[in-house]
Amino acid sequence: MAARRLGGSSWQQMSLLSRRWCLQAGSAGKREQNRYSSSSTTLEKTVENSEVTREEIVLPRRKTWDKLAVLQALASTVNRDPTAAHYMFQDDPFLMPRNTANSRLLSLSKESGRSAAKYIIKEFPQYFDKTTSEPNIPCLMPENLTPQIEGVSEAALKERIHLRGVKASVDLFDQLLQAGSPVSLETTNSLLDLLCFYGDGESAQEKQNEQKGDLEEPEENTSEQRSPKRQFQKSLNSSGFRWRENSNAERIFKIMPERNAHSYCTMIRGMVKHGAPAKAYDMYTDLLNERHKADVHTFNALIRAVPYLKEKFAERWALVKDFLNHMVQQEVQPNVLTFNAVLKTLRRCGGVGRGVSLSVIQEMNALDIEPSLATYEHLLHIFYRSVELQPSTIIAEILEEVEKRSFTPQDPDDANFFPTAMQACCDLKDIKLAYRLNKSMEKGDNWKFLDMDRLNAYWSKFFSLLCMMEQIDVVLKWYKEMTPSLFYPSTRSMFDLLQALDAANHLEVIPSVWEDIKQLGFSRKQDLLEELLSLMSREEHPEEEHDGAFPANQQDPH
Amino acid sequence: MWSRVAAWGGGAGGGGRLAARGCLAARLLTGPPRGRQAAGAVRQERRPRSKIQKLFSTSTVLSTKEDGLTASADSTTKTASKSQEDSAETPKQKLLNIIGNMKVEVSSKKKFQQLKTHETKKQAMNQLEGLDSKSSTFPKTTEDIQRGKPLNRELVEAASAVASSLPLNKEQTESDLLAQLRRHEETTDKQKKGGTINIRNVISDMTIKRESPAQRGVRISNLISLELEEDGKRIRPERLAPQSSDSRRSLKVGRRLNIFTKTSPDTEKALKTESSPTIWDVEFAKEIAAVTEQPPRNGFEEMIQWTKEGILWEFPIDNEAGMEDDAAFHEHIFLEKHLEDFPKQGPIRHFMELVICGLSKNPYLTVKQKIEHIEWFRKYFEEKEELLQEI
Repeated sequence: MAARRLGGSSWQQMSLLSRRWCLQAGSAGKREQNRYSSSSTTLEKTVENSEVTREEIVLPRRKTWDKLAVLQALASTVNRDPTAAHYMFQDDPFLMPRNTANSRLLSLSKESGRSAAKYIIKEFPQYFDKTTSEPNIPCLMPENLTPQIEGVSEAALKERIHLRGVKASVDLFDQLLQAGSPVSLETTNSLLDLLCFYGDGESAQEKQNEQKGDLEEPEENTSEQRSPKRQFQKSLNSSGFRWRENSNAERIFKIMPERNAHSYCTMIRGMVKHGAPAKAYDMYTDLLNERHKADVHTFNALIRAVPYLKEKFAERWALVKDFLNHMVQQEVQPNVLTFNAVLKTLRRCGGVGRGVSLSVIQEMNALDIEPSLATYEHLLHIFYRSVELQPSTIIAEILEEVEKRSFTPQDPDDANFFPTAMQACCDLKDIKLAYRLNKSMEKGDNWKFLDMDRLNAYWSKFFSLLCMMEQIDVVLKWYKEMTPSLFYPSTRSMFDLLQALDAANHLEVIPSVWEDIKQLGFSRKQDLLEELLSLMSREEHPEEEHDGAFPANQQDPH
Repeated sequence: MWSRVAAWGGGAGGGGRLAARGCLAARLLTGPPRGRQAAGAVRQERRPRSKIQKLFSTSTVLSTKEDGLTASADSTTKTASKSQEDSAETPKQKLLNIIGNMKVEVSSKKKFQQLKTHETKKQAMNQLEGLDSKSSTFPKTTEDIQRGKPLNRELVEAASAVASSLPLNKEQTESDLLAQLRRHEETTDKQKKGGTINIRNVISDMTIKRESPAQRGVRISNLISLELEEDGKRIRPERLAPQSSDSRRSLKVGRRLNIFTKTSPDTEKALKTESSPTIWDVEFAKEIAAVTEQPPRNGFEEMIQWTKEGILWEFPIDNEAGMEDDAAFHEHIFLEKHLEDFPKQGPIRHFMELVICGLSKNPYLTVKQKIEHIEWFRKYFEEKEELLQEI
């Protein structure tokens, strides 16, 4: 009975709704009659109204917001506070870092604290098995990295490869071979991938036990794959591992009954990554002999390895052109990384590189490939870091391109663009270019390309340029804005500031500059002290200034 | 500016000696610009200041050369003495010795280093012609010879009495420096106007026999520049060519490599085979993402990061976040429709309605489990019914 009443009321509600949405007149009329049996006149009126004034209410589509939309809108309202240090530091005057070294130390210690916590959770998962939060937060819980499938089988091998256990996979592979069961080509290829990527050393998870607290960069994301990746960014030879002659990867490669293009490609990439470029080239000729086709990543790796293969510039360029022609023959389409690799090699080709680099850019435009920041960085390096600073218009054009849009990262070398560009502006002593560069950096997401070290270098150079070229009030305005939120001045920057004050004869600011120097911790630096004192003693300061700055000397004027 | 000079002096290894020398010479040359009031004069001060910077870079190079020479005094005395005797090998060997002993500095004014070596080479040429007449005296009039001579004289003096001859050296080298500074001013003016005319003149004057020293000189001077030009070929034509085509350089206009052809996007898509991402791809994607990953700049960005990681609730807050429930609320509560198989009246019905009431208030069971409960009851009562009817 209760249910029937409930059903009745809900039916009434439904009819109300339907009347509001102006459904078909016939069905609406029927329901009206059932409900408003007492007042028929009003019923007729309403029926007529609904029939005559059939406004079509167009429902707007329901907006679905991203889960981050509210937070992003709020975050966009917050501007940078010029008087505070970065958000990651405690906002306490005693605990804020004073200079660059301090800030790096503090951010590193924060990161190392986090990774220590993660280490504890990983090492003692038995204390963290109760999930008290609802819903469960998987990233804070210990990860389950032990392989579930036991026994000697291909599925077990696949699982170990998936969990990135290098040693375990190799052992299991050997066991499988000894047992006589064949391993499929795909699995072998994925094993080769694993080995070539980690270079036959241990993967980061196994390494982490040895490298506790061995962090170098204060970035937010310290996942466990950090250490090999960071070093990968540094140079061609990464993770300190050099390709050995009898490494597991080569051994497995040799005993493979059949190999496809993927096997060769991954071996080439691994060899290039771990510092055996000559072998990579030999492997590539093997691949050509077997009439396989390499993929674009392999070609990129080979082009990056060219400076290690040849010595003379013309030969290097000829080899690069060879590779590009092979790409055309094998119908492999180049991408932006290919051209970035070409330009990176041309950086080390001296005059030949300079002549050819613009043709490479034209090629990119012809293929409609958007250049990334790394492209521009290589160009700047080719043209502006050489011996003769020819005043060319390349930098102006590059700035024009960069100003237009906000970039997304496509190449690990993208992050070097802004410091290199600012260095070029400093070398050219062009303040207007620097202002334009600054504006393009603040546009959109471009600021994200500068991490803490590069940020410091960028702003230091900008500040030196400002001190050299601009008037003193502009310099002081920038100085107040930039420190300490954006960068901490180095000794060099304080020197520049003092010289700018000297040139403008604005020496009454010197006491506050001295305060800053003391706060930065440079008060013991001999040359800075000498500079400051020589400026102070250069002229006789008028009496009024004595009162403010040197109250002790009131009775004893110079 | 003074400090900059001092810094370079310190860096050159000459220590306070050079700084004092440099300051002295600088004061002599820049007496007038001192005491300027207008800030706008900063720009005007640039040029003489920068010139002085450039000049001091060469002076520091010279000092390092002297130091280098004093350091390796013995070997170079021998070669220097030999050079005075040999005629054909003098310029090349001398140049090589000088440049080999020179400590290369990392300075942004390498242009003038090259200039200086060109000048020494040119002066070496002149020396070849007029070596005999001007060998022994202390010539201060002829600028050309003076530079070549002090090297040997410095060498000899420094080798013989280093400590005591310090004041003597100071005066002499001061005058040397002044002469050299004046020379460099001239050459910078000339360079500004005429490009590499000096070198061209020098090289065009030489006969075929002296072509090789010039070529080697050019090559060695290029080696000095830290560009690491390991190419053994003649670099001169390449270096001049970019200068001439400077005006035409642009990112937009120019010749292509003409290696690739643009394929239509359809063929591109056809060529792309879908395969599961390998470890290379995954790691590369992570690397790319890490390029623009910066620590959060304010509290909201930190909350954004936490939301992405799943640590924070998602706004607007959904009570059922994390709870997987396929059924909507009415399927939990309105369970009456499952009672169709039971009799409509009687204690069983009453009992079952109570069961349904209890189930509808139970938040812990899924809809399936509730239906299973009702099914169980139905089966039970069906069995019992048979029993009852038997009885």
